[in-house]
Amino acid sequence: MKRKMMALALGLTMVLGIAACGGGSSAPASSSAAETKAAAETEAAGESAEGGNTVVVAMGSGFSTLDPGYVYEKYPPMIVNACYETLFKFYSNDGAAEPNLVDTYEFSEDGLTLTMTLKDGIVFASGNPMTSADVAFSINRCKNLQGNPSFIASTIESIETPDDKTVIFHMNQVDSAILSKLTYSSMSVLDSEVVKAQGGTDAEDAATADTAQDYLNTTSAGSGMYVMTSYIPDQEIVLEKNANYWGQATNVDKFIVKIQPDSNTQMMTLSQGDIDVAMNMTDDTMAELAGNENITLVNAPTKTVGFLMMNMDEAIGGPVSNPLVQQAIRKAMDYTGVQTICGEGAVTPYSIIQVGFMGAKGERAADYQNLDEAKDLLKQAGYENGFDVDLVVTDLDMEGIALTDLAQKVKDDLAQIGINCNIVSSAWAAGYGDDYRDGKLGFTVMYWGTDYNDPNVQLEFLPGGVVGLRAGWTADMDPELAGLFQAAMEATDDADRTAVLEEIQDKTYENGPFLMIAQAPAHIGYNNRLDGVAVSDPYALDLTLINVK
Amino acid sequence: MERLKFIGKRLIYLVVMLLGVATLVFILTKMIPGDPTVANLSQRALNDPEIVAAFRAKYGLDKPIIVQYFMYIGNLLHLDLGTSIRTNNAVLAELMRCYPATIELAVFAIIIAAVFGILFGVISAVKRNSIIDQVVRALSVTGVSLPSFWFALLVLYFFYYKLKIMPGPGRLANAFSAPANVTGLYVIDSLLEGNIPKMLDALKHLILPGTVLAAFTMGLITRTTRSNLLDVMSTDYIRTARAKGLSRVSLILHHALGNALIPVLTVIGLGLGNLLGGMVLVETIFNWPGVGQFAYESVMSNDFPSIIGVALLIALNYMVINTVVDILYGVIDPRVRCQ
Repeated sequence: MKRKMMALALGLTMVLGIAACGGGSSAPASSSAAETKAAAETEAAGESAEGGNTVVVAMGSGFSTLDPGYVYEKYPPMIVNACYETLFKFYSNDGAAEPNLVDTYEFSEDGLTLTMTLKDGIVFASGNPMTSADVAFSINRCKNLQGNPSFIASTIESIETPDDKTVIFHMNQVDSAILSKLTYSSMSVLDSEVVKAQGGTDAEDAATADTAQDYLNTTSAGSGMYVMTSYIPDQEIVLEKNANYWGQATNVDKFIVKIQPDSNTQMMTLSQGDIDVAMNMTDDTMAELAGNENITLVNAPTKTVGFLMMNMDEAIGGPVSNPLVQQAIRKAMDYTGVQTICGEGAVTPYSIIQVGFMGAKGERAADYQNLDEAKDLLKQAGYENGFDVDLVVTDLDMEGIALTDLAQKVKDDLAQIGINCNIVSSAWAAGYGDDYRDGKLGFTVMYWGTDYNDPNVQLEFLPGGVVGLRAGWTADMDPELAGLFQAAMEATDDADRTAVLEEIQDKTYENGPFLMIAQAPAHIGYNNRLDGVAVSDPYALDLTLINVK
Repeated sequence: MERLKFIGKRLIYLVVMLLGVATLVFILTKMIPGDPTVANLSQRALNDPEIVAAFRAKYGLDKPIIVQYFMYIGNLLHLDLGTSIRTNNAVLAELMRCYPATIELAVFAIIIAAVFGILFGVISAVKRNSIIDQVVRALSVTGVSLPSFWFALLVLYFFYYKLKIMPGPGRLANAFSAPANVTGLYVIDSLLEGNIPKMLDALKHLILPGTVLAAFTMGLITRTTRSNLLDVMSTDYIRTARAKGLSRVSLILHHALGNALIPVLTVIGLGLGNLLGGMVLVETIFNWPGVGQFAYESVMSNDFPSIIGVALLIALNYMVINTVVDILYGVIDPRVRCQ
């Protein structure tokens, strides 16, 4: 008996001992603070997804920070946009940037100075009034942190704040995308007093001196409609109405954002009413919910685009560097088939500028494929009997679509004209990333997510651009297109810009090393009790537009 | 005194082993191709040498590997596992955050597995070659063979989505906020808060993932219990006891089961060690923020400090469990103590 009691006691000790390893006393300041805050919340009994003005949103995993100064991944902008505000904002997915915190703005004649005045009465959640100093602090901090989004501010030379309401941006070059850039989450205006108190700085040595990230990962310091009251990493984020919000708020009092990486799980929890919005559905899970009268399903193209890159350098690209071969490949691809692989809502853009951007020329014609023409082009290029080529593909996915699936489709399509693709796999972090960036890949299928919501990001696909150079396409190889790149950068007038962008698309429709094969779709399901749920490229989902009916 | 010496030796062995594991994992993570800079910086940022240099300096990646190693071991001796490249938080803090969720699930699963595994094993041995034995054996083989991610989707689909009798993924229903962090185990923390409905809700959320995780270990325990009990039941001392007229129940419970359980204890220990390492797919499907999910995210972003931290945690799990199991051997079987 004694022996059994000892065994039992030891067993219990083992269990409790291991359990004690998770003790909270030594937990990190950040996470324990967040969890303590969550614990201090009033019990939300009754505020389920089915009642009250609490809305539960499920999103995928995979983000590293909620500090606006570092934010660049897909989902954090959804949280940042709800808790912070930017000078300009996108109110629809295919619209232009509109003033948000800004009352008036004006470009100088040479386009190198942008002067704006802030609206009256803007206050942060802390109660502090927003001033031009907060704007300068926030943008300089992002620039000097030297994090992923710092490049957004690279065309801003300096910021002048002659008074509390006026902000003057001095640019180091004319940047027609500056208003769009100012909508980006990393350009959010922070409560500088609060952030400085937490170790934040906008000084040039911010990359090493700033210590506010831990604080901003779990707490918000903005003027947005909501404040972040709890963040449990990999689990959930809770946003509650900002009592000091200066603008017109919606009727949602609280958002619980669940991190649910699995689309099947999202489908089931949406169907059961445990969540109101499922952001990471797939064609299959959408089909499962078709016919459910409580749920609305949305399939819409995003601006994330998959493309083929054919290196212009013959030493690297081999036969695919030949413009005739490139055109043959364009003619051989089955774009409708690619869209089917990508899922409902996918489209193939006309050229390098995605559907939904200002100046976009729409979609590539559905009947563009012509195998006879493709074979003829190959013959003209001297490859009547086709050729073998390595098609390099990496382990990434484009909005859930494996690039390997797209590579297989390319291989199948090109086999019809005698091009035999040998698919070569290469891990992104173990070689592909470096080779891609260094322009060492001859023929590859890759994707491009927009850094900020402006057609100018696509100019990088032009000769001399960041992506253009990866394909060995230098500015001197096509001076006309390179000139259009500069013209688009400098066209601050919308009509002028649209004209230049259209010209660029026409000139790259059947020319150059890139072939855009499809824009990935987003699949969202949401409970019919909500209004205002829509696919958003800048914010993933704009929570500030959602109302309960 | 002997036992204290034994435990002392074990502790020294544990520290040496941990340093060995840290060294091995450090070397392996540096040997495998993969650059954390490429994995963690955006395509745009990678084009800016200043941003790349700042990133490498921040995480010590600009130093020679040998310097990185000695810095790492030096920090390790101060219980500093470094900073996660992915989250920018201390790795120890990250592990402290996600480990309780895994512990709660693993302990729940191992209790289910042990209780039902031993019970089924005993029934199967007692009713050897009967229909019941065949059914139990079939179930244990099924449990061992089922892919856990598929089983997880299946139980979630039927018991939550179709039958609506079990709660969905996550650790708590939306109606409840997380309890104040004392142990990190929601069931216990809710109890400490005095919130019985929340405690029951947390317990209910353990049932489906716990059952899925228990299935594999339960199958192993059932089979081990059955075969060992059958071996013991055929020994001379059991035959003697039976000849003396002991009842069957008394014979099994008081004389046979104790000896048959020693190998079972090893299986339970290994099963617990396996569960505490985190089960990536099951945690993903049940939205369980444990070590498995953390490990997966860390691997995907080449977050070396976190990967080494998880490896050390898993090694520590096995070492602690093996030590406890060794001690329990001595408690259950005096012959082990004598050795």
